Amino acid sequence: MFEARLTQGGLLKKLLESVKELVTDANFDCSETGIALQAMDNSHVALVSLLLRSDGFEPYRCDRGFSLGVNLNSLNKILKCAANEDIITLKADDNSADNLSLSFESPSNDRISEYELKLMDIDQEHLSIPDTDYDATIVMPSAEFQRICRDLTVVSESVTIDVAKDTIKFTAEGELGSGNIKLKPVSSIDKPEEAVTIELGQDVSLQFSLKYLTNFTKGTPLSESVMLCLSENMPLLVEYKMDIGYIRYYLAPKIGDE
Amino acid sequence: MSVDWKDNEPVPYAALCKTFETIESTTKRLEIQKHLTSLFTRVVEKNPEDFLTVIYLCLNRVCPEYENHELGVGESLLIKSIAETTGRKPAKVKEELSKWGDLGKVAKDSKTTQPTLFVPKPLTVKVVFDKMKIIAGISGHDSQERKVREIKFLLTACRGKEAKYLIRSLEGKLRIGLAEQTVLTSLAQSIVKDPAQKLSRAKETEESTEASEIVKSAYSEVPSYDIIVPILLKYGVKGLEERCKLKPGIPVKPMLAHPTKSITEVLDRVEGHKFTCEFKYDGERAQVHMLEDGTLKIYSRNLEDSSTKFPDIIERMSQIVKPDTKSFVLDCEVVAWDPEKECLLPFQILSTRKRKDVKEKDIKVIVCLFAFDLLYLNGESFLKKPLEERRQHLINAFQEVDNKFSFVRHMNATNTEEIQTFLDESFKCNCEGLMIKVLDGQESTYEPSKRSRNWLKLKKDYLSGVGDSLDLVVIGAHLGRGKRTNVYGAFLLACYNPEEEKYQTICKIGTGFSDVSLENHFKFLKEHEISAPRNYYDYDKGANPDVWFEPVQVWEVKAADLSISPIYKAAVGMVDHNKGVSLRFPRFIQVREDKKAEDATTCEQVAEMYRSQFNNSENMQL
Repeated sequence: MFEARLTQGGLLKKLLESVKELVTDANFDCSETGIALQAMDNSHVALVSLLLRSDGFEPYRCDRGFSLGVNLNSLNKILKCAANEDIITLKADDNSADNLSLSFESPSNDRISEYELKLMDIDQEHLSIPDTDYDATIVMPSAEFQRICRDLTVVSESVTIDVAKDTIKFTAEGELGSGNIKLKPVSSIDKPEEAVTIELGQDVSLQFSLKYLTNFTKGTPLSESVMLCLSENMPLLVEYKMDIGYIRYYLAPKIGDE
Repeated sequence: MSVDWKDNEPVPYAALCKTFETIESTTKRLEIQKHLTSLFTRVVEKNPEDFLTVIYLCLNRVCPEYENHELGVGESLLIKSIAETTGRKPAKVKEELSKWGDLGKVAKDSKTTQPTLFVPKPLTVKVVFDKMKIIAGISGHDSQERKVREIKFLLTACRGKEAKYLIRSLEGKLRIGLAEQTVLTSLAQSIVKDPAQKLSRAKETEESTEASEIVKSAYSEVPSYDIIVPILLKYGVKGLEERCKLKPGIPVKPMLAHPTKSITEVLDRVEGHKFTCEFKYDGERAQVHMLEDGTLKIYSRNLEDSSTKFPDIIERMSQIVKPDTKSFVLDCEVVAWDPEKECLLPFQILSTRKRKDVKEKDIKVIVCLFAFDLLYLNGESFLKKPLEERRQHLINAFQEVDNKFSFVRHMNATNTEEIQTFLDESFKCNCEGLMIKVLDGQESTYEPSKRSRNWLKLKKDYLSGVGDSLDLVVIGAHLGRGKRTNVYGAFLLACYNPEEEKYQTICKIGTGFSDVSLENHFKFLKEHEISAPRNYYDYDKGANPDVWFEPVQVWEVKAADLSISPIYKAAVGMVDHNKGVSLRFPRFIQVREDKKAEDATTCEQVAEMYRSQFNNSENMQL
């Protein structure tokens, strides 16, 4: 038997919004530690990996590890029927789950809605992401990162990120012209969520598709700040931390433009 | 040379693509046959479960032809998918397409600027086929985006040459010179080849020829690999003969007639046989099926299900079918009919009828059904029976109903005068001419899909020396000027070369169009403009149009005569070493909605028409 009850149901709604653009079908891997999802986009260029720890649920019950194959679009549609304040409970039979049951409880407990989502068999390769010591780690307000991606999309389809000791520079060059945005470290003791920090082992300069980055910024509502980790010739890691877990996006850098 | 894989493992897409590549590199039939048979044999040995999939991919289909699901993903969607997969700009991909004229090649040669995170698993034929089926079935909301997504999945996983063939398959045509007949022969050969049996060479050849005849004949009766392949794998070729028989609900490719130019020619052909003349009605071929359970179906010449186009025919069948007739396959012509004057109306009237989902109350064009052959009755196939017997059964099993159903007018003539009188009579009744058919013996069986010399057609046009009309593909146009500003002013037409799978230009046409038809052509063809000619268009710079089209529409065209031309490519090398044939004074007759581009007049037929002009004049001199 699998059962997970989440008091802040709005979180699950936001989470789905942040993955459904990238991936259509995925397995939710449920285990004692929590619920995890890992999937690549159709072009194998980006990967999303998310984790919701069991201690974030009240209660959480999962007797043994199993997978729930879900069409994310369908799940998203059902979750849209829940209000942000609702308490969401997920239930499934871990032996032969054909359906995932969802129930939405209003905070005052006077309205309970129940839905069943049909599950599917998804043949997914499990890919292990190697742990990396990144050359550069940046933390910045997530809304700022979202704005940078949105603004530079006006100019080009790709962005070059240069990280040096005390600046991060985002540059885009396209047919209509070019643009760049520089950020300097900001320490903000009163409002830690507004801080910009750079941890640097070595300067890096990498180019990425803005379409994917913009897609990743769908995670913005999940966290005030975002972490970007970069190394030469390595996939970029974009992470949004939540109280009960994280969502991580990986993106392969582009090479030599035409 | 070939790509290998382990027993019982899924057939890799690479193995199929390797075979495509070898086939494309040669024009020798036997060599193509050999390579294909070798692939098929290995598939049967190692993983027969993938055999059907491999065959469908070779034919570039996702289901039996008569189910009418076609791939044909538009050029712009494919460009988008290639651009998004490789990180290149769509404009750049387009530019290269204009240079090479083959999007497959462009996809294969596209260097990616967007590497993947992990190397995708190699494609298997099953994965490719399943995705293609999904793509063919996508419709409605977001369909473009969803298609692009699936295509990107496949493209990303392509290695080496795979992208080239994948893109071509998605476009709807492989263009490697692989004919269906070759696939059928290899299908038979791969089943006969049994490594355990040590047959002598001669014995093996004999057996394989026989097997291929059986398979081809089974396919013409039951044109569905879904049915044939599993039977072959389980029961072998011998089992196919017993188990694969024509049955109502699965359309048969109609038998076609050979054109003739004079009554003398007709008599030369049928001399010594008992033969019959039938009116040739100016309508649309229709195959009416009734299943055991009473279900009625109507199929077009192309095997398309046109039951919803003729609800009035479906409805009237109960009056026509006699009580003892439980199931049948009837070959007929549907003709527009004037019930007041009780006369036939020309095809042009019939073609104004809606093409599907016709409601009975909205019907304006009344039709009458003229039956001329019976292929199946009450559980028994009549294909191998002589025409005389089939006709007798036809007359016994159905009854004529005024203004609704009739047997074709026929006469068993013996001499020129009788035929001439009957021919004149057919013209008086608004018919196109006569069909002359061998009536009994071996040569009077029903030969599905064949343009047989046992059926001859004699049309007014042939007699007057103008020759038959041609069915040509529109591949380009010139922008209009003056009165024709804002529409196309003239069009470039092509015939089809099935051997090379190419379209050869034949003439420019600007006559025969009304203002309305020009507008309609513009509206329709505008959607099919392409940025560059396809690499399978055979044309000369001297006849370059302003815009090119995808080969999507067939036009019936008449001309004064045919002449040798240095700038048109039709039948090039067949009547002249390096010049083609062109039409003089071509005139547009109508759009042939019932024909696909590959059903257009072939270069072979063009060459024959050209040559026959001289035969005619010689005859006259004599």
